[in-house]
Amino acid sequence: MSQAHAAEQTLLLGQNQGLVGVITPPLPPADGAPAREDPPFVIILNAGIIHRVGPNRLHVSLARALSADGFPVLRVDLSGLGDSAVREDGSTPLDATLADIREILDTLEATRQVKRVVLMGLCSGADHSVIYASTDPRVAGVALLDPSIPRTTGYYVKHYSGRMLSLRTWKNVAMGRHPLWKLLKKRPTQVAPDVEGGAPADMAAARPAVTLEHPEVRAYLENAYGRALANGAQFLAVLTSDRERQHNYGGQLEDAFPSLDFKGKLLIEYFDRCDHTFTTLASQQRLVGLVRRWMGGAGFI
Amino acid sequence: MTPLYFGERSRRLFGLYTPAHATGGRARGAVLCAPWGAEYLRAHRSMAQLGKWLGEAGVHVLRFDYHGTGDSAGDMGEARIDGWTEDVQTAIDELKDTAGLQRVTLVGLRLGATLAARAAAKRRRDVDGLVLWDPVVSGREHLSELRALHAQTLRTRGLSDGASELLGFPMTEALVRDIEGIDLLNPAPTWPARTLAVVSETREAWRALGAALPPGDGSAVESIDVQPAWLEDRHSGAGAVPVKLLRRVVDWAVT
Repeated sequence: MSQAHAAEQTLLLGQNQGLVGVITPPLPPADGAPAREDPPFVIILNAGIIHRVGPNRLHVSLARALSADGFPVLRVDLSGLGDSAVREDGSTPLDATLADIREILDTLEATRQVKRVVLMGLCSGADHSVIYASTDPRVAGVALLDPSIPRTTGYYVKHYSGRMLSLRTWKNVAMGRHPLWKLLKKRPTQVAPDVEGGAPADMAAARPAVTLEHPEVRAYLENAYGRALANGAQFLAVLTSDRERQHNYGGQLEDAFPSLDFKGKLLIEYFDRCDHTFTTLASQQRLVGLVRRWMGGAGFI
Repeated sequence: MTPLYFGERSRRLFGLYTPAHATGGRARGAVLCAPWGAEYLRAHRSMAQLGKWLGEAGVHVLRFDYHGTGDSAGDMGEARIDGWTEDVQTAIDELKDTAGLQRVTLVGLRLGATLAARAAAKRRRDVDGLVLWDPVVSGREHLSELRALHAQTLRTRGLSDGASELLGFPMTEALVRDIEGIDLLNPAPTWPARTLAVVSETREAWRALGAALPPGDGSAVESIDVQPAWLEDRHSGAGAVPVKLLRRVVDWAVT
C-alpha cells in the first residue's frame, strides 16, 4: 500500500520567514529515463482555513504523486493560516495572500532559480491561484478545484429542470413546505424593510447579497481569468457536484466568461457524486490521476 | 518556531519546535500529541495555538505528526498504534535533546492522549506530567463514533464509499484491530505523578477516569464547557479553538 516518495524538506519563506512550507522534491524517473528538464514548481495553496496538509491529506497525496512524475512541489501555509505567522503590514486578507504568493515565488526564483510555477488550490485556494496568475507571467498553469464561477443560463436550466423532475420537490409543494409558499405568503413590508429606521439586523437583511453574479464580481473574475490566459497560463478546473448551488456542469466556466477564448488551454472535468473536500478514497484517486494527466500533457515539459 | 524533520531515516517525523520565551523560571518542555485522521485536521488550529501559548509561558514545545499522518513520511496504510506510541517516544527524545531538558510533559488530545499515556508509562523517568485532553478511553467506542459520523457524512453528501475508509482516510484491518484493543483504564495505567484530565463534554468514560488518576494535588479531572476542538465547526473543515481550555492547560503546565 505504501509507496516510496522523496524525502520531504521544510522551508520558511516570505516576509520575516514567517510562512511554513514543505517541499517534496522530484523523484528521478523509475525507468532510468532522463529527468524532466526545468519542470515548473508546483505550489499548493491552503484550502479555506485548513493547513497545508489539505483536507483528507489530499495535498500530501497530490504532492507525492507529482513528485513521482518529476515535478517539485511546495505545500505552504499562507500568512495567518496553519503554522504561518500573520503579516504585520496591515494588508487586507486578499492583498496579504497575493503578497505572500509573490514573496514565495521570489524566494523560489532567488534560491532555486525557479522560472515557472503551477498554482493549485481548492475553494479559496483556487480563487487565489487564478487571481494571482493574472498578475504574474511566471505562473504557467493553474489547477482549480471548485473555483468560484458565476451561475449561467445553462446552470439555471439544469438546476430547475432537475428540481421539476424531483419527486421531493412536488411532495414539498403538496405539503406546503416548499420555499415557494413562504415567498407567496410574505407581506410587502417584509420584502422591503425600512432600512433607515430599522435595527442593525434589519439593515443586514435589507443589504443586497453580493453574489458571484453581481456585475462587478463577474467583471473582476473575467478580468482575472483573461489576464491569466494572456500571461500564457494553462488551466485545469475540477467542479464537484457538492457545489450544486454554484455550478452544475463542466462547461459552466467557459459559458460564464464568453468573451474569453480558453481553446486548447483548459481541461475541465465535472465530478458527479463527489463532495467539496474529496472525502471518498475513490474521488481522491480520480482527482490525483486527473492532475497527473493534466500536468503530463499540458506542455509543462 | 522551527519546522524540522527528525527520527530515523525510515520513519521521518515532521515537527514544529517552539522555543520557550525567557521567563526566569525553570526550563520546562511539552510534547503535544495530536489526534489522528479527521480529528487531527480539525484540531490543528487548537494545537498550534496551544503550542504558541505554552512557548510564551516559558515552555519549550514540540508538536509533531505521527508516521503516515500530516507532513510526516509514510501513509496511513502503515499506521499502527505501537508505531505511533514509539513516535511519541522519539519526540520526547528530540525535545529533550533540542532544548536540553531532563523531563517533559506530554499533552495529548483524543487518541493522542491515549498514545501519550502509553508512552508516559514506558518512559517514566522522562515524563513528569501528562495532560489527557478529551482522551479516547475505549477504542471500540471511538471507532463506533467515527463510523457513525462517516455514515452520516456519506448520507448527507450523497456519497458511497469503499470498504476500507473512514472520514477521508484509508483504514487497514490491522489499525482497526489496534484501535479496538484500546482500553485506557484496563489494565490500570501507570500515570506520571501529575496528571490532568481536561474534558469538554460529559461522558461516562471520563467520569470513570477521575477515580483512576493518582491521588495528590497535581491530578484531577476538570470539565470545561467549551466547543470540542476536534469536531468540525460550521462546515469549515476545522474545529473551534477552545480558548478557556487551552489557557487552563497552559496554567497547569507551568504550575
